[in-house]
This record gives sequence, C-alpha cells and structure tokens, in this order.
Amino acid sequence: MSQININALFKFAGSQLVFRIRLLLLFIFIGSLSASAQESSIKGRVTDSKTGEPIFGAIVMVKGTSKGTSADIDGFYSLGNVSEQDILRFSYLGFETKELRVGNLSELNVSLESSTSDLNEFVVVGYGVQEKRNLTGSIASVSSKEIAQTNFQDPISVLQGRAPGVQVTSNSGAPGGGMTINIRGNSSLNAGNSPLFVVDGVPIETNVTSSLNGTENFGLNPLADINPTDIESIEVLKDAASTAIYGSRAANGVVMITTKRGKSGKPQVDLNIHSGISTVSRRLSVLNASQYRSAVIDSYRNANSNEAIIPAVLDSLSAVNNGDFDWQSELFRVARQNNVDFSIRGGSDNVRYAWSSSFFDQDGIILNSNYKRITSRLNVDFDVSDRLTIGQSVSYTNAVNNRSNAAGSGNLSIVRELLIRPPTFAMYLPDGSLNGYQLGRRNPVGLAELSTNINKSNRVIASQYAEYRIAEGLKFRSSINVDFVSMKEDTFIPTILDFREGYNTGSVRSSNNITWANENILTYQKQFGTSHNFGALAGFSYQDWKYERAGLDGLFFTSDNIRTLNGAGTISNQDVNIATEHSMLSYFGRVSYDYERKYLFEANIRADGSSRFGRDNRFGYFPSAAVGWRFSDEGVFSNANFMDDGKLRFSAGKTGNEAIGNYTSQGEFMVGTNYLDFSGASPSVMPNSGLTWETTTQYNAGVDLSFWQSKLIINFDAYIKNTNDLLYNVPIPRETGFDFITQNIGSIQNKGLELLISTRNLETKDFSWTTNFNISSNRNMVKSLPENVLTNGFIQNGAYHILKEGYPIGTFFGWRFDGVYASDEDNVNGITNGAQGPVYRGGDPIWHDLNGDGYIDQNDRQIIGNATPDFFGGINNDFTYKNFSLSLFFQFSYGNDIYSEINHQRNSIVRYNNLSADALNRWRQQGDITNYPKPVRDDPLQSMSRVQSRWVEDGSYIKLKNVHFRYSLPSAILNRWKISKLDAHITATNLITWTNYTGYDPDVNSFSGLRVGVDEGSYPQSRTIILGLNIGL
Amino acid sequence: MMKAMKNSIKIFLGATLMILFSCSEDLLQRDPISSFSAQGFYQTSSDAQAGVYGIYDAVQATFSINFAYWGEGRADAVNTNQAGDPFLLQQNTLNSILASARWNNIYETISRANYAIKYVPTVFEGDSEFGIQLVAQARALRALSYFYAVRVWGDVPLILEPYESIQQDIFPTRTSKELVLNQIEADLLFASANCRANFGGQRDRILITKGGADAMLTHLYMWKKDYASAIQSAERVMNNNLYSLVTINDWSRIFTQGYTNESIFEIGYNEVQRNSLRILYALGSDSNFFPSVSFRNAFEEGDLRRDLIYDVTETQPRKIWKYFGQGFSDESPEPSDKNIVMFRLADIILLKAEAHHQLGETIEALQLLNIIRTRAGLPNLDIQGAIDLYGDVESAILHERLIELSFEGHRWFDLVRTGKAIEVMNPINGLNDEANLLWPIHEDALNRNPSLVQNSFYQ
Repeated sequence: MSQININALFKFAGSQLVFRIRLLLLFIFIGSLSASAQESSIKGRVTDSKTGEPIFGAIVMVKGTSKGTSADIDGFYSLGNVSEQDILRFSYLGFETKELRVGNLSELNVSLESSTSDLNEFVVVGYGVQEKRNLTGSIASVSSKEIAQTNFQDPISVLQGRAPGVQVTSNSGAPGGGMTINIRGNSSLNAGNSPLFVVDGVPIETNVTSSLNGTENFGLNPLADINPTDIESIEVLKDAASTAIYGSRAANGVVMITTKRGKSGKPQVDLNIHSGISTVSRRLSVLNASQYRSAVIDSYRNANSNEAIIPAVLDSLSAVNNGDFDWQSELFRVARQNNVDFSIRGGSDNVRYAWSSSFFDQDGIILNSNYKRITSRLNVDFDVSDRLTIGQSVSYTNAVNNRSNAAGSGNLSIVRELLIRPPTFAMYLPDGSLNGYQLGRRNPVGLAELSTNINKSNRVIASQYAEYRIAEGLKFRSSINVDFVSMKEDTFIPTILDFREGYNTGSVRSSNNITWANENILTYQKQFGTSHNFGALAGFSYQDWKYERAGLDGLFFTSDNIRTLNGAGTISNQDVNIATEHSMLSYFGRVSYDYERKYLFEANIRADGSSRFGRDNRFGYFPSAAVGWRFSDEGVFSNANFMDDGKLRFSAGKTGNEAIGNYTSQGEFMVGTNYLDFSGASPSVMPNSGLTWETTTQYNAGVDLSFWQSKLIINFDAYIKNTNDLLYNVPIPRETGFDFITQNIGSIQNKGLELLISTRNLETKDFSWTTNFNISSNRNMVKSLPENVLTNGFIQNGAYHILKEGYPIGTFFGWRFDGVYASDEDNVNGITNGAQGPVYRGGDPIWHDLNGDGYIDQNDRQIIGNATPDFFGGINNDFTYKNFSLSLFFQFSYGNDIYSEINHQRNSIVRYNNLSADALNRWRQQGDITNYPKPVRDDPLQSMSRVQSRWVEDGSYIKLKNVHFRYSLPSAILNRWKISKLDAHITATNLITWTNYTGYDPDVNSFSGLRVGVDEGSYPQSRTIILGLNIGL
Repeated sequence: MMKAMKNSIKIFLGATLMILFSCSEDLLQRDPISSFSAQGFYQTSSDAQAGVYGIYDAVQATFSINFAYWGEGRADAVNTNQAGDPFLLQQNTLNSILASARWNNIYETISRANYAIKYVPTVFEGDSEFGIQLVAQARALRALSYFYAVRVWGDVPLILEPYESIQQDIFPTRTSKELVLNQIEADLLFASANCRANFGGQRDRILITKGGADAMLTHLYMWKKDYASAIQSAERVMNNNLYSLVTINDWSRIFTQGYTNESIFEIGYNEVQRNSLRILYALGSDSNFFPSVSFRNAFEEGDLRRDLIYDVTETQPRKIWKYFGQGFSDESPEPSDKNIVMFRLADIILLKAEAHHQLGETIEALQLLNIIRTRAGLPNLDIQGAIDLYGDVESAILHERLIELSFEGHRWFDLVRTGKAIEVMNPINGLNDEANLLWPIHEDALNRNPSLVQNSFYQ
C-alpha cells in the first residue's frame, strides 16, 4: 500500500480520464490495493508510438498482481518492489495493451500503438460502464466519430442503418420531424414500442407530443433537443441481460446517450460550422389543367350523374379556375441550413469541464417551414476530497419549429394539397387578392405563408450527483435528475383562408412536462486473488412524471395581425387545461463475477412499482442473467494465432411495459363534455382494476470473434423475445356506452438474427480502407389472441392492418385488385358490388372474389402485404488517403411492403382532386385494356377508397444515405499555426435511393403506433448537401 | 470530517430507505387531476348537474346528422346526388355499413343517462327536488334515445344500468320493442311529472322541461296508436303558456335563430359545438339532400312558406333555405351552428289533429289543422275540401305535416306510423316489404356483440 499514493491515484483517475471510464478503473484499482512483497524498482516513460507524445495516465500493472501505477503528465512512471520475473502490463484506453518482462532493467520505455480494434473500448451499460470485450449481453454502439460523419441533427437518425437490430423509420421529412425507432421488432400492441432513452443516466421523457395537430403532423422528434456534436457515444441495449436493470420500461430496449465530459489538461477548443442546402428528393407527377379537366368530365360521365350542371372547375374562363399549376413547384424550394457549434473542454487537477453551445437554423423544403435550435451544455466534475466527487450535467435547448401543416385529409393540409389540389385553381383573384378558399379547399401557399403553426420549446435536462468512496471497492452514488420540457404552440388561420367573412381562428397551447428522479446506488468491486473478479450493485430510485397543459381557442379576431388570444372576439375553452401525473418506485441490483475473464457471469433484478396499475398489481419483478465463455483463452484455441479473441455468451431475462394511460385501471370521468355553456362530465374510461404489466421474456445467444489483430471482427446475435399479457384496448359492444376496455391479453413473439462485421481491408502508410457492415432480420408474429376479441378470426387494427394469430404486426388486409374490366361483357360471372349492389361494368376494378359467392363484400378481404422487412441494415466504407478521408454509407431495407395511402389520395378524384399522371392511362371506353380504373365522381363503388392491393407496393430500397468527404490540414501546418485541428468537409445526405416505390420516399412510416408501413403523405424527405469546417485550438 | 461525513451519509441513507419503504403505497397512489376516477365522480350537486349536461353533449352528437338520415333520408320530400348514406337510403338499398345504421351515439347517451339515474340520487340526501328534476331530465333523454332506437331498428338491447365492471354482461341481447316502448313511457311519465316546468329564458327550449316530456309522450302515444293518451299529453303542451305559434313573418326564425316561443325542445349548437345542417341541406349541388320534385309540387297555391323553405329561384332547386334563411347561397362544406328543432308546437297541434281524426272527432281535427293552414296563408279546409284536395282528412293532415315540418326529421316516421311508407315510397324506390322498414344493425355492432341477431330483412 505504501508504494502507491492513493491520493495521487484518485487525482489522476479523476483528472485524466473521462468520467465513465474512471468509474471502472476505480473498481479495478481499489480492488487491487493489497500489500505485496518488494524486490527492486523500475521506471520509464510511456509514449504514443505514432506521435511520440507522452501518454498521461497510462496504466502500468504487474501482471497477475494488483500492483500498479500510472504515468504522470509527462508520461513517466516508476514502480517499486518488482522482481525480474514480473511482467509489466501497459495499457491505456484507445491503445493496444503491451506486456513486457522486467528482467534486469531498471528503466523501461514503452511506446503504445493506438488501438485499431474496438475490443478494448468501454461501453456504457445500465448504471455503469463495462469493457466491451467482457460484455455478456447484446449491445450496439455508435461512436462520436460515426456521428461526426453524418449531418444529422438528432441522435435517432444517426442510428439508422448503423446499429444492428435497430430499425429506424422516418415519420416526416420536416425539420425536427418525428422518427420511429424500433429495437428487435414490435413487442406491444398498444402499450408503446418506443425504447427507453437515458441521457447521461437520466431516463428522459420521449412522449413529448405537440398538443395542436400533434399526430396529424406526424409528430415531433423528442430527441432533436440533443445536439449530436455533444454526444460521446450512443449505446443500444437490446437483450434482457442488458436491459432488465431498467425493468418495467425496458421491454423495447434502452438507448443510452453519453455526452462528452472534460479531461484534465490543456483546454480543447472546438469550433464547427457548416452551411448547406436541401431540395426535395423526388417529385411526383400530376395532371396539368387540360388533362385534369378531361378527367373530371370523365368522372361525371362515369357516375351517370343526372346533374346538368357543369362543375365550376371546368370553366377555364372563370377567374378562379383559369390556373395551370403543379403545386409542387409553388410550394417546394431550395432550403438552406446553417450550424455553428462551439465547445471548450478541459480541466485542472480537481475539476473537469465540458462546455458547449450551438446554433442550428434549418429551412424546410416546403415554403416557410423552419427549425431553429439553440443548445447549450455544461458538464462538470469536482473532486471535493479523496473520497468525494460531485458533478453536474446541465443542458438547455431552445427550439422554434415553424411547422407546415400536414394534417391528414383535412382542408388544412399543405402536404396533401401539393398533389391533389386542382391545377386549375387560380392563385389570385382578379382584384389581386389571394384566392384563399375555394370549394372547401384552403390555398396551400396561403396556408404556408399566412397561417401560423409554430411550436416553441424549452428543455432542460439536468443531473446532479455525488459519489462517495466509502472503502476499498465500495462506493455510493446518489443523483437527482430532472427533465423539464416546456412547450408553447400557436396556430392561426387568417380570414382570407376562411369561407366566412371576418372568420379567423387561433389557438394557443402551453404545456409543461416535468420528470424528476432520485437514484441511489451502492457498488462494490473486488478482485479476489489473481483470478476472481467480483462486482455487485444495489440501488433504489423514485421517479415522478407530471404533465400540465393550458390553452385557449378563439374565433373572430379583431385583426389578422393580432394573433395572440387577447385579440379573439370569442373564446371557446375546450379540454385545454389538463394535468396528469404518474410515479414509480424501484429497487434494483446486480452481481457479476468472472474467472480470469474467461468465464463471465452476471445477474440483475429490478422491482418496479407503478401508480398506473391497480393496487393489487402494482409491483413487477424483472430478473435476468447472462453467462459468457471466452473460449479463445482455452488451451485448444490459445495456439490458434489467427484468432485474437473468441467469446460465446448467453442471456435470459424478463422486462416489462407499463405504457398505458395514467389512470386507465381506475376508470375515468372526463370533464369538458359540455352542452353549450353548461359544463358537463361523462364516463370515458371503463375501469379495470386487474390491469398489470406487459412482460417480455427474452433469450439471447451471441458470439464475438476477432481475427488477425482485429482485422476482422464478427459479432453475431440470435434472440427470441416473447411478450405476454399484452395491454390492449379490447373493443367491446358499444351498447355498454364504451368503445373498448384495456385488458391484458395475448402474446407476441419476435425472433431474429443480427450480424455485424467490421474489417480493416487495407492498411498502408498513406492509405487505409475499413468496412463496417451490419444486417438484421426480425420475424414478428402474433402468437395468441383471446377468442373474445376476434371478429372473423382477427382484430381489425386501424384501417389497413389486421392482427391475426400466426401473422406479424403490420399485415395489410384488404381486397385484391386484379385489374380492370375492359368492357361490360368481361364481367362474365356478373359479379356485383355487395349482395344487392350493381354489377361491375367496363372500367371498374376486378376484385378477387375470394369466396366465390358472386359478389364482393367484407368477406372477400385477404392479406395483401406485410410492412415488416425481411432484413435491413447498413454498410459503411471509410477510406483515408494521407489527409483525405471519404466515408460512404449505404442503408437498406428489403422485403417490406408499403401501403401507399398517398397514392390512393392522388389517384382518387372524389370530386375535384387532381390525379397522378398515371391517370392518362385510365379506362375511357368499352374495350380499353388498362390497369387504371375509370374515375367516378364520389367513388360510389369504393373503387379507389377500399383498402386494396393496388396501393400496396414493394418498399425495399438501398440508399446512399451519407457521403462524407473530409480534408484535414497536416500536423506540420497545424503546429506552425498553433492549432490542433483544421478540417473541411462536404457531407451529403439522401444522395441516391434505389427503389421501386412510387411515392416520395420508401423510408416512411405512419405517425401512430401500429400503423406501420403506411405512407400517409407526410412531409417529403429531402436531399441535403453541406459544407463544413472544424477548427480545433 | 471524513468520519462525520460518513456518519451523515449513513443516517441519510437509512432515513431515506425508511421513508421510501414506509410510504411506498402513498407514493404510488396517483388520482386523476383533470378528470375524475370512476369512483371519484358524483360527490356533489354540481357533479350531478354536470353529469346530466354530459348527456345532452351526447345528444348533440347523436342527432347532428342522423336526425335527417333517420327522419328524412328514406322519405319522399328529399332527393339526392350523394353517394353513401343519402343515396343508399333514398334508393332503399340499405346495407350494414351505413353510417346511419350505427347506434354508438345513442347508446353513449343511454350510458351517460344510466350513470346519472343511478348516481344522482346518491349525491342528495333524502328526496331533493333538484335531484329528482335532474333524474327526470336524464330519464327523458334516455327515453328520447330509445324512442329513436326502437323506430329505427325495432328490438334493441334495453340497458338500464351503467356499465362499471367487466364482470357485467357486456354482450346484451335484443329486447322486444314492446318492452322498450313500455320503458320509454315509464321514463317519460316520470319526466312529465318531475321535470321543471321552466328554467327561464333560452334554457326553456334547449333543456327538457315538463312540456318537452309531454311533447315526447304525444309522439310516443301516436306511435303506439294510443290516441286518447296522445290527445291528453298534447293538451298539456298546448295549455303550457311557454308555447305559442309565431307569426308567418317569424316562421323562418324558428330555425335560423332558434329559441322561439313555438319551440318545445331544440338541441342547442354553437360555434364550437356544431352539426351537419349545412352539409345536409345548404351546399347547393353538393348537399346531401335537396327538395324532391314531388315535394315541390305538393305546395298549394299561395302557401307563404314555400319561399322560406327552399331556393325557388332555380328551376332545379338544390338548396334548402329553411335553416339558413331565404336567399342563403354559401356553398362551403363546413359545419353549422344552428340549433336542431326536435319538437315544436305546430308539430304537436298537427299530431293532436291526427289523433282526433283517428277517434272520429273530425271537427276538432280540422280546427287544429286550419290553425296551421291559416298561418301559412292558406284557406280553411272543411271535410269536403280535404277530400277534394287530398282524398281524406288524414291525408290532408299528413300533407300539412309534410310541408310545415319539412326536412325537420319527421316525414319517414309519419309514413311508417300511419302505415303509408310502402304506398308512398314504392313508386319511388320499390320499397315493398314491411321488414324493410327497419334499418339493418351495423356490421361493427354485430362483430362486437355475438348476442345480436341482424334484422330479418338484412340477414
């Protein structure tokens, strides 16, 4: 003990290494501070083989003992009491470990090679960090380097295609728009499929939804508040052994985001700036004015309408109908974006800090849409004494999102109007004013330019901790975490866009979402003898969520220029002031043991109590265990010098899902069911006190292999996930007065394979080429559903999907479109539309008469597609030549179908909708052979509107998602200029997409829950090219 | 210092653990803040009042469009170019996915009423007059709902208790319509006896009063062909000084402004709680319904109401002006804020006329009929006049109802009630089967409840 100055060690540990790694080192060191015999002493210097720079904090250990020290700021170390036989082990994060015999030397200088393998890296796990090579669970991780190669402004987009088993789809191409992230498949019916997000140990709220047109606008991205440049790493915990420590919220996996922290030493100043432009990635065809008029005339004729009236839209001489627009040209634009990001990170002996600030300003490709974000972060750690470290992470984000309305089929939707608005509608009236409202349609340019739809948010994520080292290997950490989101939203539609004189409408919503938690953790780490490593963790936490919202709706504003609600002539106050809360109390623990890092074992348990469940079912228990076997250390393999490392691992465990309404089990009476000005209340939720958790049991087997000095690394995982007691809103007879009752029913299974291969293909002095490839396949299946919730053997799940035993979530169900009757006589069997309906005639679709009963009805529906891909993944190639580097990232998805609701919309004339150019091939007269049915006014036979195979398309794609080309100034020049870094780069996103899909983009998802793979016509994706500069001082 | 710190940490730890363990139940008990738990409502008299207004809220939704689908869609006063319900109803090709075949809103109203009927009395000690008045309103609204249900679907599940647990029978079967009608009568008699005579001001028209209950009773007895009882309840309405006929100059205002003295019960709507009247009647070529040729030809010369009812300026009139005023030409497909008049004095006067005629009291019948005719600027009819013009007195009264109450949602039920539905509609759409007079039960209801059996005509 005397040889090592503990104070110095703690100082070094605290001051040199990033925080998360320090923790682990502390375990190792404290565990190893036992007395030992002495012989002679040795000293030397540890340097970086590449740069010759000293490695401050490099660890020097006597192999097989707990004796060791670390290098000082100049790389020097000295170690007493060593014998000639001792082997010294030199290690440092990011460098290859080296072992050298002491022999008769008294000075031993060592240069360490920077590590090219990621095996020695540490990864963040639940309530701690772990050496990647000793993992027994399944964890995917994305580093800051990979993040820097993208231009994504949110952490979820970064994960797309980069983490095996993690499927990311876009709900919207709007700046700050929503994403769907799915880890190892959908495991819940309506209790939520979003993973738990933990930022620097703070579980954060991701249900931050807009309360005005929230769902209709395809959501917001709750993680857009986190500046990716601040991120050190993102870890995705997938199997139960990794996630069970988060218990009841972990069934969908856990995403751990760790931000950069300061290191002791000279401050590192970084300035990143970029500017770029975006354009819509694809435009879709529409009919021009004369083609459109002819289609409308057809639709009237085909309806056999006895209407003598010529529709006004046909009158090309009318001042409001003489336009000829492709509305896409009016609304899409080349959009610019700018970003400035500035950080200073550093520290002294006792204090380490990371300070950063950024400003991001992005225009959307639709007129007037814009997203601005300011982020600011301070992470500090203080060593108060040898034993006590305290610290804080605070981040603040201010975002202003000027949104485009994409609201479904309503007349407020800009996005759908792009495609279906009649090309003939004039932009301006003869008096020069905007043609704001015509035939139930609001002018989309007017909506974009004149209406308000703005979302302003402020978010603080903060965590304050104190860590006390009680004794050797034993420490206590307590933290208080807060996630506070305040959101204000305003909408306003001016008079000119309304059909009534002086009628304008506005709304305001203001909401607060505050989550706070207290977590208390005791950890113990000890090495017994030379081979037995033991660790334990015990903790409890309490978390509390509160949501409040207030708002007003108003009408008849005095002026279109005063848009705040004080200007409203009439205030209508409807369901806009609400508050809800929810709490959870948890106890958790972990034990781990390994023998010579060859046999690894870990077990976790968590007990969660949630206020959402009935009194009798409040607590759920979530255990897990994992074992690992490093077979490469066994005698048989130790001579196989082509293999560096080989490990098998198995895990099993249970996690839960509590994502139901806060008060569902108690039943609810809602207020606000008013009759005129009389306040009303009525029963809205039927109580079910027996409600409990949804539980997921997951088994995972994996193998990690590394060959030829990490030139080839393979990680392979196979898993089975069974989810039982699914929380589901079971439809019940409406005679009860209720639509559904939430119950625990049925089960779902996900099983899959994940493969990650990384190779160093070529390495010469000037040139290197590395490849990372990952591919995942998940098979989802509904295993059982109770008989009483089924109709005709399935559950209708929204308009497009069914849930059926033996079939995956995302199964499309509808009528099979078999073409178009060329003539009346072609319908030889006289198939009718419904039992008593009309006989199909020439130009009508040929529906597959599944049961052969001679008419088409509900019973002829069948499975027409499946939204889940056979496999998906990504491949990244990094090339460096001298100071140039190029990275090409492709992302792919194969075998998934898309239900293209937008293609239905743009091929359905209804009354006056414009059609796609495909309509030029429409059936016009008897004998026409075509696949495009005749347009009929109001679509009386549901030719277009019924859910049908015609709108199901192959959604497979490969995307050149990201190209990053960078030039770094050589160090000679840098040294002369006394700066540490100057890089210039070009980054392109969504450059090329290879797909057969005919909508805007195959990377698409509907906004809500289980409506997977439906393209509802959200904000289109864009192609972006940016130029950037990174300067480091 | 270290030691002190160590100790304080120990104390802190111990204390926190103790607190957490001892009150975990409290930490995890979270009652709703902005709503009530199922057990937490119906504690105060204002709860009771709110519970009853909640029923009216459901009534608003129920009748927004269906008052016309149910009451006019299948009858002869309207025609349509609209696909969906309007077309299928008018063509008599009803199917089980019609919007108007859904009874969801009716049963939601009934559920809310059942909650109120069960729990309002628990709020008040003893026999509170206020409490009984509230229950009376709830029972009247339940009766209104069942009255429509019986007339539209025939036998329907008769549910008189609120659903509060999954243990209850959530798959009810259909109850014979006679039993349902008996329950409606019992509810309305209770309401007639216990509802407030008046509330004062506009509330007299949009809340259920004694007069409203009596008006509904009159309709019920006419449906049951209990003419003597119908006359009694109609007399109570006519003697009620809340109600008087407006002049022809104000006739339009019954609908365009609402709250007139002629109105007995109208469902209130406003700028935010809106209905489908515009879409039903006022959008010109795109509205759901426009006046049929036979309706336009049914007017007698000099009828002052004609110009107020539809767009007479067009040769093929497409707009119904009745609810929006003469000359209304706004074609925007937006919701409407006009009230929907369910029962008014002219309606009850004509029902009473019909009842007298059925009992052979033709003089009284004609007297009442002529009150309405006089207001419309038409000459009085005597028996011979009625026979000359309409074949018989009953037809003359029905004709008067067709014009006076046009598009108010009475015509189809008048035709069914008087047994004339097939006679009138057969030439128009081929209706020829008594069993076809009912609507089908919606497919969704059949799917959700295996105990339900579809109406025979639609099986």
